[in-house]
Amino acid sequence: MTARRKPSAAQAITELDDLNLKLARGQRMLNRVKDEDVQIATADKEVVFREDKTTLYRYKSTAARTIGVPVLVAYGQIGRYTMTDLQEDRSMLRNLLALGVDVYAVDWGSPTRGDRWLTFEDYVDVYLADCVEHICRTHGIPAVNLLGICEGGVFSLCYAALYPQRVKNLILTITPVDFHQDQAEGRLNHGFINLWTRSLTDEDIDRLIEANGNLPGELMSHVFSQMTPGATLSKYNVGLLDTFDDEKKLLNFLRMEKWLADRPHHPGEAAKQLLVNLYKNNELVRGEFRLGGRTVDLGDIKAPVLNVFAKDDHIIPPKTTQALRGVVGSKDYTEIGLEGGHVGVFVSGKSQGVLGKGIVDWLRQRD
Amino acid sequence: MSDVNKAMGEAWLAGQQAMLKAFFPQPGAGRDNKEHPEASPLEEEFSALRDTWQASVAKWSEFARDASPGEMPTPEKLREMFSPASWTGPGSGVLDAALQRVLEGPRYATLWDLDRKVMELQKLTLQRDKEVAAYQAVLQKAWNLVFERFTKALQAEGGPAPTWRALTDKWLAVANDTLIEVHRSDEFVDAQRRMLRAASDRHLQERRIAEAWCEASHVPTRSEVDELQRLVVELRREVRALRRAANAGGAAEAATPPARKSRSTAKTPRTTRKST
Repeated sequence: MTARRKPSAAQAITELDDLNLKLARGQRMLNRVKDEDVQIATADKEVVFREDKTTLYRYKSTAARTIGVPVLVAYGQIGRYTMTDLQEDRSMLRNLLALGVDVYAVDWGSPTRGDRWLTFEDYVDVYLADCVEHICRTHGIPAVNLLGICEGGVFSLCYAALYPQRVKNLILTITPVDFHQDQAEGRLNHGFINLWTRSLTDEDIDRLIEANGNLPGELMSHVFSQMTPGATLSKYNVGLLDTFDDEKKLLNFLRMEKWLADRPHHPGEAAKQLLVNLYKNNELVRGEFRLGGRTVDLGDIKAPVLNVFAKDDHIIPPKTTQALRGVVGSKDYTEIGLEGGHVGVFVSGKSQGVLGKGIVDWLRQRD
Repeated sequence: MSDVNKAMGEAWLAGQQAMLKAFFPQPGAGRDNKEHPEASPLEEEFSALRDTWQASVAKWSEFARDASPGEMPTPEKLREMFSPASWTGPGSGVLDAALQRVLEGPRYATLWDLDRKVMELQKLTLQRDKEVAAYQAVLQKAWNLVFERFTKALQAEGGPAPTWRALTDKWLAVANDTLIEVHRSDEFVDAQRRMLRAASDRHLQERRIAEAWCEASHVPTRSEVDELQRLVVELRREVRALRRAANAGGAAEAATPPARKSRSTAKTPRTTRKST
């Protein structure tokens, strides 16, 4: 018995030693890290258009053009567009630039209570439409390549259905279409937002928005944290400890934290449309979603469509986005399923060589 | 009525009578009545006021004596009322019941409106705290389940994991799976919904009180500012629509296709203002 215990005790001491060394190393690294080391969205860009809180950026090219028509990237309102350019070696935007794409990105800004009354109509018919108009006018072209991400993909779908002549190619990434397919694969960790939203009555949502003016970013962060309880529990202990082996890992962790902490409030009236009309009533896939007196008919989208989804996306489960195939009007519909989760598709090391290249290869054939 | 209540009632009555004597001494006490055979008008006023006060005290004393048993707050009840545990626990006891009675009582057009608002806020705060407690109870059950499953998993594997990290990873895996399962349960989802709703209701009531103060202090209320912002947003939509219509009209007349004038920043004059 004694002979068997000795190795365990020795092992425990060795483990404790390793842990203490790691903590000391981490402490030193954290002391060295300065705010400028954790900047995000640093790719060279210029403001080319601004309307209210919406800003349109054009990115400085880093390679010879290979795609003639610019790509406009539209993110949603649940997070900030900065996730598309987290850091130099984890950046969808930089990857597109390096592959010869002329990249624009729209930033909706950080809505405040004053933006409470903005609706999907404002984002689709005004802000997104004006950004597209600006690009078309600048380049003297009739249509752009539109790349929507998550809720920005929903904006893009609505825009492409209502203004088909302005979209040459439509690229969607992690975009929900059928909001009721969250448990189609029976994976318990998928689609918690769908379940949570359906549990709320319309009156609950009205009062939530009335009380706060907007859908608070903090509330959405809380709901997100409930989707991955293990990661939430371990993030600032085991998770942080794991980064102490490598300073690059620590900086990547801190940049992600920076992005996560910058979760905007969702404008109130638009949030009601998102939660009630889309998440609860599933009007988009049913062809019943109405914007500004018009019905968004996905069958009106005739442009080529590339739909990129993450195979382990717990926020937008694959089937919720793959449902587009059955309702879109385009005969040129392509899907790319990437390994990883919702955000991982954009920021994981593994996806860097895949996402940008997949998009550019597809575009090149349709430019 | 309990002995304690009786004692408190009598003490209150004695206090009132003592105050009465101090404020309204007997007429002529310590004074020569022969020199002032008739009471002055001021004394008459005092006398009338004293009679009214005495009658009032007598009525209230009677009311206090006739109060149903248990209505007077005993020290035990006061302790219960001010115990934080009773505020957050399901069913907040005497305070909750008292609030309910006040809020459901007759409503007068102008009297005590602010008091009622504050009491309603207190009631909604209690409700929110109850919902938070109910939510936490669901979570606590989940954690108990995590612990139970973790223990079973360790037993199944024949004892603790070889390293602290392996043990932590095991714990996190069990916690993750169990919490995901619980988060999808009707009980959890409903508890979370009720907590959110209670928080919203309370927040809105708080706003009503703040707005009452704003109105009294000539300060615009949140509702008024919200309404103003809605008006501005709607007006801007109308302006945009008119501008588009005007540009579309111009386009029909012009040979070249125009672009509508955009509102842009000074930072971007080159690209946004050159065409109209």
